[in-house]
Amino acid sequence: MRAVPAVMHRLLHRPRSWVPVVALVGLFGTFAVMMLTDTAKQIGAIGLAPWVGLFAYDVGTAGGLAVAGIGLALWIVATDDQGGSLSALTIAIRVAAFLVFAIGSSVVGRRMRESERAHRTQMGLQSALIDSTLDGICLTDVRGNVLISNVPLRRISVEVGLPPTGTVPDRLIAIAGRTTEPDRYRRRMREIAEQPMLASEDEFELQGSGRVFRGYTAPLSDADGRFSGRIWTLREVTADRELDRLRDAFVAAVSHELRTPLTSISGFLEMLRDEEQSLGEAGRMYLDVIRRSTERLQRLVEDLLLVAQIEAHRLELVLDTVDLDEVAAAAVEAARPTAAEKEVDLRLELDAAPPVRADTDRLAQVLDNLISNALKFTDAGGEVTVSVFRNGGFAQLAVTDTGVGIPLDEQGQLFSSFFRASTAMRRAIPGTGLGLVIVRAIVEQHGGTIDLESREGQGTKVTVTLPAAEDAA
Amino acid sequence: MKRRVLIAEPNAEVRRFLELTVERLGYIAIAAPAAGPPPAVDAVLLEPAAPETRSLLHHFGGDVPPVVCLSVYPREAGLAPPESVAYLVKPSSTAALGHALRTILDH
Repeated sequence: MRAVPAVMHRLLHRPRSWVPVVALVGLFGTFAVMMLTDTAKQIGAIGLAPWVGLFAYDVGTAGGLAVAGIGLALWIVATDDQGGSLSALTIAIRVAAFLVFAIGSSVVGRRMRESERAHRTQMGLQSALIDSTLDGICLTDVRGNVLISNVPLRRISVEVGLPPTGTVPDRLIAIAGRTTEPDRYRRRMREIAEQPMLASEDEFELQGSGRVFRGYTAPLSDADGRFSGRIWTLREVTADRELDRLRDAFVAAVSHELRTPLTSISGFLEMLRDEEQSLGEAGRMYLDVIRRSTERLQRLVEDLLLVAQIEAHRLELVLDTVDLDEVAAAAVEAARPTAAEKEVDLRLELDAAPPVRADTDRLAQVLDNLISNALKFTDAGGEVTVSVFRNGGFAQLAVTDTGVGIPLDEQGQLFSSFFRASTAMRRAIPGTGLGLVIVRAIVEQHGGTIDLESREGQGTKVTVTLPAAEDAA
Repeated sequence: MKRRVLIAEPNAEVRRFLELTVERLGYIAIAAPAAGPPPAVDAVLLEPAAPETRSLLHHFGGDVPPVVCLSVYPREAGLAPPESVAYLVKPSSTAALGHALRTILDH
């Protein structure tokens, strides 16, 4: 008794359950046809079977069989209403024909049902997957309309104050006035909106709240490679930025504090120089160790402070027209004693490089760091070559060594703070992992680029490209 | 007559090093008083990062002698008082320190 209301309930309240509705309408339609002529009764009776199958698909095999029984009885009765009796063979053939149709339809229906269930399961998993990430994610069509979005994105959109409607670029531009750098933010969003194939990763901070978000977008292509929309992700990175700020403040504070004891150590070391001759051989050796360690500590402090400046975008350059040949020659001369001590052949090749607009001291620091690295990683008998030359409208300098090289899988991390290549760690080559970070920052601030090629066991070549002075203006 | 240099440096060891350096250069080193007005001097060697040393300059009134800053912070930190004529970052070499003082006192 409860089965019928349950079936009716399912029919009435499952918006996507169109199958039983169609099946029932089909059943009644077929019965109506069976009320007509004998031929129509035959056609209608055969036509009954698929509806039974469809009904079985949705309400289950038992319900389907019940309807099948009713249909079969009606067919037999309907075709025997002229008083004649049907032979057992005819009934058997009709029963068999009916069952083939009904069972066939039921099997097809069941497969459809399983397919639909699998599809729903897949969709559920995909929703769970994108909803359970911390990032807000959405896909948009070619015009920027949202096709799909996840729960975190909808939550972040409300928190950030994005308008609820409109294309994603328009909604993002609408909050430009709430960011700490509205002009830069607006310009960037317009670039993204106007350049379909542009991939972009940007951060923005909301005024007042100090909340920082990192957005990423990239174009999507269809099977033919045509632009078909975009993926957008949005993540709150306030905590990350706060940690960065704390770390930078800590490093800066420690580095500044280290300068005070370094002042007295290096100062008194200088004073001891006058007394050095009165010391014994062992005393002079100890003094050398203290002096080298102090210099190393001093360099570390300077590097840490410089990296803090770079990361806070506070590195300032004093630009002048600089002869790169002169800077390179001076750097090579300064490094000759170290090269001689290590028995490494240090060469300089100058080939009419154009002057560049640069901060001489910072450029010298780039060369010192690169040459120092090359010498550190090259064994006795090896070569380090510093070459400076023109390449079109650019001046290039390359530092090439025949040293230990860097494993391919580590080369991508070489410009990350404090990263040290495994080849350096294995050989206990001293360093802080800050040199290349500083080099790249200085080069990029000059509008230049830096490239690195390396093969483990064969050597490394670092090439710095800077705009020539006439083009840099 | 020997020139007098007031040393306003909060760290005792650095202060001692500065006193020795100043004396080796041929000047008289005078330690800044813990409180009260400083004596009349020809130059001040100052760590501007320490509040107590900066407040010392107020005691000179409108007649502050030339100031050489020797600081743990770079010039960009904006700590240098208006009277500073040279700015060195620690650890500075004795040569750089000597050059700064001689420029003020011997020219």
